[in-house]
Amino acid sequence: MERRDFVKIAGATVFGAGLPFAGITAQDRYAKYRGQTIVINYPAHPHYDQAEKLFAEFTAETGIRIERDKLQYLRMKDRQVLEMGKPGGGDYDVISYVVMWKTEYVAKKLIEPMEPFFANAALADPAWDQRDIITGYWENITLVGGPMGYLPGPGAKPYGVPFGAETSVLGYRADLLQKHNLKPPATYDELLSACRLLKDKEGIGGLTSRGQTGHQVTAAWLMHLAPYGGLVYDSKWRAAFARPEGVRAAEVLREIVEMGPAGIPAYGFGEMQNAFLQGQSAFYLDTLAIFGPAQDPAKSKIAGKIGYAPHPMAARKAGMTGGFGLAIPRNSKNKEAAFLFIQWITSKQSDKKIALSGGNANRWSTVNDADLARKYPIETPVLREALKIADPNWRPLIPEWDHVSQQIIGQALPSIITGKSSAKSALEGVIGPAEDVVRKAGLLT
Amino acid sequence: MSSRVASHVPYVYIAPAALITLAGLLYPIVEATKLSFFDWGMGTPWESARFVGFEAFASVLSNPHVWTSVGITMAFVLISICVEMTLGIGLALLLEKPVRGMRIFRTIFVLPMMVAPICVGLVWRYIFDAQFGPLNHFLTSIGLAPQLWLADPLLAFLAIVVTDVWQWTAFVFIMVLAALQGVDASVTEASRIDGANTWQQIWLVKLPIIKPILIVTLLMRMIDGFRGLEVVYVMTFGGPGLSTELLSLHIYKAAFVSQQLGQASVLSILLLAIMTVLSLAILRTGNPLAARRK
Repeated sequence: MERRDFVKIAGATVFGAGLPFAGITAQDRYAKYRGQTIVINYPAHPHYDQAEKLFAEFTAETGIRIERDKLQYLRMKDRQVLEMGKPGGGDYDVISYVVMWKTEYVAKKLIEPMEPFFANAALADPAWDQRDIITGYWENITLVGGPMGYLPGPGAKPYGVPFGAETSVLGYRADLLQKHNLKPPATYDELLSACRLLKDKEGIGGLTSRGQTGHQVTAAWLMHLAPYGGLVYDSKWRAAFARPEGVRAAEVLREIVEMGPAGIPAYGFGEMQNAFLQGQSAFYLDTLAIFGPAQDPAKSKIAGKIGYAPHPMAARKAGMTGGFGLAIPRNSKNKEAAFLFIQWITSKQSDKKIALSGGNANRWSTVNDADLARKYPIETPVLREALKIADPNWRPLIPEWDHVSQQIIGQALPSIITGKSSAKSALEGVIGPAEDVVRKAGLLT
Repeated sequence: MSSRVASHVPYVYIAPAALITLAGLLYPIVEATKLSFFDWGMGTPWESARFVGFEAFASVLSNPHVWTSVGITMAFVLISICVEMTLGIGLALLLEKPVRGMRIFRTIFVLPMMVAPICVGLVWRYIFDAQFGPLNHFLTSIGLAPQLWLADPLLAFLAIVVTDVWQWTAFVFIMVLAALQGVDASVTEASRIDGANTWQQIWLVKLPIIKPILIVTLLMRMIDGFRGLEVVYVMTFGGPGLSTELLSLHIYKAAFVSQQLGQASVLSILLLAIMTVLSLAILRTGNPLAARRK
């Protein structure tokens, strides 16, 4: 093992020595950390499936070894909190966090602010361009502090870097729309009427959706809340989700469930996506993570029959922002090496490589890249349009959001989508608990 | 003097084991009780925990979701155990006597118990899948309407009961079979000579003889039923709504989703209290240890 490592390090050193002058600075940046091993905790997710193919290249270039810990994305949090809460140092040097966890991790002092690393000339790569990162992703995934606590403004600081960030797109069965002379829906009215028509005439579910109790059904409802002009909390932290916009979004979700493929109330993300890929639904409205699997014949029965459009509009144009970012735990023993990894894997070059192999683009330079447009001619133009309406205030990313999402709103919505209660009464029934949470957090006075 | 020493010797021998067992049993309960008086977030130092007195108890006991979850758990345990005990005892009685291929039957019956609960959850989730599940394919093939097994509150509850019965009937079967094979053949033979028919032999002779084993089996299944988490976690995650939210899953969500460790501890104490009361009630009907003392 030691001999193999020595050979790898020697190889990387020889390779580094052969680089042109500009490369010497980069080699110096990594020299101090050569031989270190960093442990990365990341999700089983299409973006990371592509990203991990670059790990060997990172090690060859920098001499920093990588140990992987890959988990289902909603199961990562338990492990991360336990590891990052260990006073003597945890197992992780880099974590991939879901956007919903950022403020909680910062409030508990579990992750490092990124600014000191980027300000360190010995570590920072001058070519790493923060302004090139997709604006909505940067604001949504990295910033903590400021007036709202989770959006840009005075006092907001980055605590991570977007990696595997996502916005929403509408996927549709181009063959079916063409057959019935329908154009890709640009509004919710068009979408719902197309769902109805295709359900009646083709016997196929309209729009697939998540629906499982807790996080999944809340995510499904949020998909329609912002386009209908709704909010979870208003600017004074009063519960706003039971106002007419929120009620309408829940009613739309119920219609979608009624017209959709069978079994939506039990669907998590996988089942929801699978229903579309297996030809059980005509539409898909969720994260752009669909791009890769949709064109993979091993996973998709509808490869070659799919078209994409931006998130349909109702009261306003708004698309989801969410997904993952990379951060450094405060109790990591290899923080500098961890930072070098984050900087390397989120660089323009790596971003382009990952996007070309089927991962998510996190940078404007990648989204506007000609090679990407050539390789993904259907997806890229829609992605460019979708990013223009990506809404960083998609959900209130306060530390208590997981509880509100899963245990309060996520418990009320199932009774709506299964037709057991009216949207208005079910949502009004949880205003009290939802306001108690923000009152306890000191946000609502 | 020597007799006094001799009377203490057994206690000295068992003292280390007893102390370790006691500490192992009591430590988690004491810690859970302590935690229930504090508001402490996971991942933060214990020093940051805030003493809140009985706030978590009041919050849990006044939460209607908790009582819904308690009701669902009781119904789940009661229905599953009744079915498992009936089927398990029935199968054991059927296979008690040597029949051709009995070894194969026994092995097949025991197999579900050996499968990891997570796999059981995944397999049954697939079987009950509304779109792609074999159960709905079968229903369609015989002309019946497919069902939304995991998307309908009542059917989802039924689904987790069926899964539990599938997995744990084998346990009852093994326990009862072992007990039946220990029944002295001369006793049943005597009852037969006295004119007892097969049903009378079962009801009046065999089952009363193996009652202590039945009590232990019932107790173990009840405790397992209350603690069961993995299968329902994978199959439904408590949904739709709260229709399959067993108390153990409710505790998991309080601890790991809401990060309310104080409330999770109160819920754990509540679960322990319910199990203790029910266990004592079962033991009152026939304590196997008391039976042995007699």
